[in-house]
Amino acid sequence: MTEERPAFSPAFRIASIAVLAAVTTVLTRVVQVPLPARGYINLGDVAIVFTAITLGPWSGALAGGLGTALADLLSGPFAFWAPISLVVHGVQGLVVGAVAAAKPGNVLMQIVGGIAGIAVMGGGYLAAGVFLEGAGPAFTEVPGNLIQGGAGVLLGILAGAAVLRAYPPVRQWKW
Amino acid sequence: MIAEMYRPGRSLLHRWDPRAKLLLLPLILAAFFIPGDPVELLVLTGIVVALVAVELGPRELVPPLKTLWPILTLITVLTPPFHRAGPVIVSAWGLPVLTAAGLRFTAVLFLRFLGITLGFFAVVRTVSLDDMVLGLRWFLVPYSACLVVTITLRTIPTLAATWRNVADAHRLRRGAAAGRTRLVPTYLPVLTSVLIESVKAIPLLAMALEGRGFGRRSARTSFAALKSASALAPDLLALAAAAAVLLWPAFLRI
Repeated sequence: MTEERPAFSPAFRIASIAVLAAVTTVLTRVVQVPLPARGYINLGDVAIVFTAITLGPWSGALAGGLGTALADLLSGPFAFWAPISLVVHGVQGLVVGAVAAAKPGNVLMQIVGGIAGIAVMGGGYLAAGVFLEGAGPAFTEVPGNLIQGGAGVLLGILAGAAVLRAYPPVRQWKW
Repeated sequence: MIAEMYRPGRSLLHRWDPRAKLLLLPLILAAFFIPGDPVELLVLTGIVVALVAVELGPRELVPPLKTLWPILTLITVLTPPFHRAGPVIVSAWGLPVLTAAGLRFTAVLFLRFLGITLGFFAVVRTVSLDDMVLGLRWFLVPYSACLVVTITLRTIPTLAATWRNVADAHRLRRGAAAGRTRLVPTYLPVLTSVLIESVKAIPLLAMALEGRGFGRRSARTSFAALKSASALAPDLLALAAAAAVLLWPAFLRI
């Protein structure tokens, strides 16, 4: 029988950030969910919300920021968005995790945190978009970002609850 | 399959040291943000396009342009209405559609976006992520941060394969309903399975890291290394030349 003392070991923190950043990259780059009207959204936000509410704000910030930045770097043409994604999704993960951690396990707080995270993500990309592409194109991206963020909150919270039920040791991994 | 953007080659850009290319990235940003004149930006963008075409081949221009054209179209169509100062160039029903200021700002945004995107594309196309991580370590980015990036890069292909396998398994189980894609019923079971698989790997990976000595205070060795600092001189000279080419509009202002 092993005695777990996971969340406080530096090796554990490195491993958890690396694996969940990889999850974020895969859900951002590989998974494309078709929208009813047209176009696609990715599920990167699901990984950020999941990580933030199950493993805490710092995990959410580091894994979310790094995972989305790597997804941008691997995409080629949008490589220069990597630093922006690193900051925007990093702050998103931090905000979602911090709000959710105020009342651990409370779904309402997770939803509030998720909505705050959407505001941070949407606002961050809007600001960067206005700066880089101009106001017109930047505003056209807002609805897509909001839909993607909303899907991320919904699936992230549901997946978090399912994983906690199926694999309870995760409860002790928050830091 | 998630492939990194790097394509091996023998071009001058490929042979350039990754540390010099990392320094080139902020230089590209500065080069395209300092000038506000469309003509200067046109020359700079022309230089970057020529660089990609000559060094990597004209075909390498196709993937980024294919990805960029919707955004470039949006910039062209939606920017003029936000900038109505100056003489009217095109009007409809008495309302200004395109003014001199609108045209100028549209050209600036269009060329800046295109130039920065192609510049960054040229760098990520010619430097492997492994070399990029080594370069970051040389710039004193903490070892633990580089280790996280390295492990993430190694984990991504495995996880992508896991996602596909789990998604295929769930599709088979859903049978006749498999054709319909609904957000929660379609994706939640796959997500849950992949997330459980992923989090279960974390303690094992942590134990492996500790087993390999992570956390010890002794000096670290490295399997792969970049060339010595003294051998970097030609690359830094080339970087200085690139800075002179890219930042000439700023020098002209001084």
